[in-house]
Amino acid sequence: MHKITWAGIISILLIISACQKTDEPATFGQIAFEVHHEVDGENLNTDALIYTNGAGNRYMVTEIHWFISNLTLIGADGSHTEMMESSEENIFYIDTDIEESWHIKANKPIPAGRYSGLRFTFGLDKTLNKSHRFVNPPESFMFWPTYLGGGYHYMKLNGKWINTLGKNEPFNFHLGIGQEYYEAGKTNEDFYVFGRSDNYEHCEGYLPPENLSPVIAFIHNNFTIELPLDFEVKSGQTTQLDLVMQVEKWFNSRELYDHDQWGGAIMQQQAAMEMGCRNGVEAFHLRRSN
Amino acid sequence: MRLFSLILNYCTLSFIGFLLLLSSCKENDNPPVSDFKPTPYEIEIPYAFPTKLNIPADNPMTVEGVALGRYLFYDGRLSGRTHPDSLMSCSSCHIQQNNFEPGIDNPHFVGGFVHGLNGQQTHHVVLPLINLVWNSSGYGWNGSFFPDNENPNFRNIEDIVRASVLAPDEMYGDTNRVKALFQSLDGYPELFFKAFGSQTITFKNIEKAIAQFVRSFVSADAKIDRYLKGEVQLSQSELNGFILFTTEEGADCFHCHGGFGNPLFTTHLFYNNGKDTIFDDPLDRFAITNDPMHKGAYKAPTLRNISLSGPYMHDGRFSTLDEVINFYSHHVKLSEQVDPLMHHVLRGGVQLTPSEKADLKAFIATLHDENFLTNPAYSKPEKFPDED
Repeated sequence: MHKITWAGIISILLIISACQKTDEPATFGQIAFEVHHEVDGENLNTDALIYTNGAGNRYMVTEIHWFISNLTLIGADGSHTEMMESSEENIFYIDTDIEESWHIKANKPIPAGRYSGLRFTFGLDKTLNKSHRFVNPPESFMFWPTYLGGGYHYMKLNGKWINTLGKNEPFNFHLGIGQEYYEAGKTNEDFYVFGRSDNYEHCEGYLPPENLSPVIAFIHNNFTIELPLDFEVKSGQTTQLDLVMQVEKWFNSRELYDHDQWGGAIMQQQAAMEMGCRNGVEAFHLRRSN
Repeated sequence: MRLFSLILNYCTLSFIGFLLLLSSCKENDNPPVSDFKPTPYEIEIPYAFPTKLNIPADNPMTVEGVALGRYLFYDGRLSGRTHPDSLMSCSSCHIQQNNFEPGIDNPHFVGGFVHGLNGQQTHHVVLPLINLVWNSSGYGWNGSFFPDNENPNFRNIEDIVRASVLAPDEMYGDTNRVKALFQSLDGYPELFFKAFGSQTITFKNIEKAIAQFVRSFVSADAKIDRYLKGEVQLSQSELNGFILFTTEEGADCFHCHGGFGNPLFTTHLFYNNGKDTIFDDPLDRFAITNDPMHKGAYKAPTLRNISLSGPYMHDGRFSTLDEVINFYSHHVKLSEQVDPLMHHVLRGGVQLTPSEKADLKAFIATLHDENFLTNPAYSKPEKFPDED
């Protein structure tokens, strides 16, 4: 008799518990991205002189270090859902040498439902790109000199190419804040001394030299792109997607980037950085993880 | 006879028991555990410095540990010997006024090239002991001591202490003899109790104390630090040098040696900087990573107090800063392994003019931190514990 009574009570409790779950269904899930670096559809093979870009440069990649920020999911209804609780947290450092950096995960529940893509900023926008935001490595090693605009490299893509002399020449495809330099013929109004530009806010605590620099303006080269992909975030589940950087497209998507033309270093060549960034808009895509 | 044997055995056992009792009494000489109250040692993070510190979980820094480490760092009996000709300690080669390096004009080590008690020269020249608590990338020119090393004996400063005591080209000592010697010296057991809660000296605690002391070495009061905080202005020449230091079209030092955003003035990482084209050093970075692209690669040392750090490069091939600047300006060599950051290599270097070299040198002089070199907290104690 007792057994039957207890069995009855347990059954009722289980039913109540089940009912409660039905009454308050989970409406949130999770999303995570795994970052892949690929060349011509294959995983990047570092330090291997096996690639050829659109300009005909044979090249190799040693390492890629870069920032991605402001990750936002685009709902099928056009709504926007930030991946992180705050914009300060919505910055990720990715490094081909650090496997842990290839994994990006939202730090808050993501509303279940259908989504049509991902929007993000390559690098850091003007608001986020402040010097000393990061004091710890490896992020701090990405600092961009104050003389060149301050803040951080958006990306360091280092490698070598075979130049016109047949030599194995290093290149530093580094993107960040560009500079406009004083040129004869510009009016006085065009000229203002380094540190007095709107980028001065980067340089808290820094006394810029007066009457020293020919830099008259800084250009924020970061860009925001939207990658389309229909996907669903299901209640209580984690949706896993791949964010792919197609490395070759930095050099040959919209325009041909020729290492022989730009040389090994471009931090002080705004035209080269601009071209790189125009190409970079095409350098990413999103796909479902296998 | 049998009775005699029994009595002898009994006496032997009794004697052993007596020795054990004595030994146990010695252990019990420790003050009550309640008297062990070490004071946490806080490292104040200087302006813009990293907040992450490389302090092993099993060796938190304490005021007492650092104080004990200071004695041991300077005590020549760390070699395990007492004869005046056989004394050697960390401070024999790491001299505070020389940026904790031997110094190129060292009277005992000609040209700054050090050798151990048996006369054997070290494989590489000495690196400075400066701001090491912020290094998590590996200690030594090739980074052979790093935190996640599978070999637990090659992970951190504690392990370097042991290696230095044992190495034939350094103290050529014996850890048992070292700990026994310090156990016998008045005052040391009490200091070990204050630092670690036991008067019984272990070599592990010797390692820990010295490592704590070395981690306390902070250099953050050079002119460049005050400039970065907005407290002083640099001269025109120093500013010119700073711009050269931090621009790709200038001297491009900053990618490896830091700057405004990395005031350690090093990444603590490893680069082939184009010194050679043939790589036959068995202790380069390749020896650690087994990556052929790391042949000829070595740590980029901090440039703080670099004017005192000669001889320069892992093998001490350059005696002066002028020689170093000339190398980076005109003599960088192309090889398969040269780091991509050496993008000027096909021109032989960054091609600085004489006035640019002077400006760069003027800027580098702003990294000189006199307070670090004279800080009494890092200096030799007036006397050792057994001299009280």
